[in-house]
Amino acid sequence: MRSSTRTLAVAALVAATLLIAVAYAAVLLTGATPGWAPWCYMLGTATTMLATIVLGAARGRGGVGRLAVPFAGIYLLLLAGFGAVLAMPPETGADAALWLGLPRRAAIVLYGVGVLPLFLLPIAYALTFDSMTLREQDMALVAEARRAREARAAGAGAAAGEAA
Amino acid sequence: MSAPAAAAPALALLQTAALPPLTQPTIVAVAVAYFAVVAAIGTWATRRTRTASDFFVAGQGIGLWPLAIASMAATLSGFAFIGGPGLVYQVGLGAVFIVLPVSLTNAMGAWVLAKRMRLLAEVRDMITVPDAIAARYDSRLAQGLSGVAILIAVIGYMATNVLALGLVIDAIFGIGLPSGIWLGTLITLAYSVSGGILAGVYTDVFQGSIMAAASVLVFAYVLQVGGGMSGLSRTILAADPGFLGPWGKLSPLAALSFFYVFGLGSLGQPHVVHKFYMLKDPRRLKWYPLIMTSALFVTLLLYVGVGLAVKALVAGGTLAPLATADDATPTFLLRFTPVLLAALVFSGVAAAIMSTVNSFMSIGAAVLTHDLPVALGTRLGNELRWGRISTVVISLVAALVAQASGTLVAFLGIFGWGLFASTLVPALAIGLNWEGATREGAVASIATGLALTLLFETLGYMKVYSFPAGVTVSGLSLVASLLVFFGVSWLTRRGRGAAIAPDVRIVMEA
Repeated sequence: MRSSTRTLAVAALVAATLLIAVAYAAVLLTGATPGWAPWCYMLGTATTMLATIVLGAARGRGGVGRLAVPFAGIYLLLLAGFGAVLAMPPETGADAALWLGLPRRAAIVLYGVGVLPLFLLPIAYALTFDSMTLREQDMALVAEARRAREARAAGAGAAAGEAA
Repeated sequence: MSAPAAAAPALALLQTAALPPLTQPTIVAVAVAYFAVVAAIGTWATRRTRTASDFFVAGQGIGLWPLAIASMAATLSGFAFIGGPGLVYQVGLGAVFIVLPVSLTNAMGAWVLAKRMRLLAEVRDMITVPDAIAARYDSRLAQGLSGVAILIAVIGYMATNVLALGLVIDAIFGIGLPSGIWLGTLITLAYSVSGGILAGVYTDVFQGSIMAAASVLVFAYVLQVGGGMSGLSRTILAADPGFLGPWGKLSPLAALSFFYVFGLGSLGQPHVVHKFYMLKDPRRLKWYPLIMTSALFVTLLLYVGVGLAVKALVAGGTLAPLATADDATPTFLLRFTPVLLAALVFSGVAAAIMSTVNSFMSIGAAVLTHDLPVALGTRLGNELRWGRISTVVISLVAALVAQASGTLVAFLGIFGWGLFASTLVPALAIGLNWEGATREGAVASIATGLALTLLFETLGYMKVYSFPAGVTVSGLSLVASLLVFFGVSWLTRRGRGAAIAPDVRIVMEA
């Protein structure tokens, strides 16, 4: 069964990879980094991460179901986090404002992009595992596939023996 | 191009400079005790290793916690404790982008690879990562080509790690680098060749647990010495505001490139993803991302904390500037933590490197014993015996290479991660989830990743051509192999190479 969610994820992955390629090409062709290249790269990287996760999590016609919420959250987190630090002016001097002990832009990267997803994706994975990732019927189908494969191999072996 | 920006990609995975001497009775005693425990685990595992399946995939009999902790230990190697903090000290927060994706990558790996690879091992007899590629595309060529790519990267990676192990052992025991390399190789070889990956997994569990605990303790000392995170930041900001910028001393593109390569590239690291085969029951994957991510997170506190603390101590005048960045961890531990904790970390660094080397020994031997013969249309009679012989051969080659000049070993080590990523991410990670992938697309992408990585790394090593700042060989090769994979698969989508075996299709749709 072809999954439209997976098709969409692959399309997004191709587009994101092209964005990264464009950023690299700009640097390679000019020898310098144009101002838009990090934005292009950031968008490509965030989309690559999301598209790859969706590709792995999507199931048949069901798509990603309620996982869409944490996935959207992660995507926004990456875009907003990297976007904010690209857009915000650099901190100067020892009296710069600190968030949780770090300058604001560093805090956004470390805590926002580096730590927050820890509380989102692994927990979403665990909470939806039994209903969406690996169901009992999946295990039954896999066991049946193994039996069918072994039966085919045994049949082929017997036929070869008779022919001999 | 700024010097740190240029140096960072090369430093990222390397430990080739000598460490300060650590020969103190407590450190030596803890190291000896550590190695004794490793030897005991190796002896226990040897008794349980009777078949090739036991040797290469632990008889598919390990539980969730060993899987998660062993994967964490295999992921980190010694770089996380020596080279990583040194890199933070040198280039600031930009170095954190190497480890920043870990909050995403383990859940991503679980959705994309863990279930599919483990279920493949339910329907077929799987030993290696190229086995999964062969099953997906029904292609011996793809299996052989991916095996060659893995073998090249393994030798380079192992040589780098064996050199690092030699440096750590020399620093602890003071026996000289050549002897350190051989001693480290022989200890790792002893338990790997007898106990196979089973010995590796349980030594990983032992050392990974200790490293996680030690890392938390070291981070507590970091906060105490630096006056909390705010104190560290204020001291550094007064002296060098750019250091605590989000990209550190790197350009935004270089830092983001780290995030991309180490994020997506994590799906192509065979020494980690190959462990999915070993899990006893695929239903136990449920809590794998949470355990693995949490373990990595606490263990990486040392990576970030020590680099920041040493920078603050130097900025505040408490410490003189370091002679080499890799001195950051030894200097901090010896000056600011109890010697027992320092001893645990130093022994743990050696053990972390040994665990990574053990994983590489296993997958490298599996390529020689299993993948290449299968790709050539034959099977070796006794894969267990040949696996042990191959392990010895690969280890000796890596140890001999490690004795060569530092620049050659550095060159070999640089492309390991990138070569794994560019050759395996498209064909394995994307291919197991996208039915539009074709055999031709897989072969073309593996060949592209292999050729580009070797070509540009060699040109860079020979100083013929190197990329401008922000562009890395590993990033560019990964992008190119992905685009080739998608393009060739689309062009050949109606050919015979687009077929998927029924059992593999069930795994892909599960």
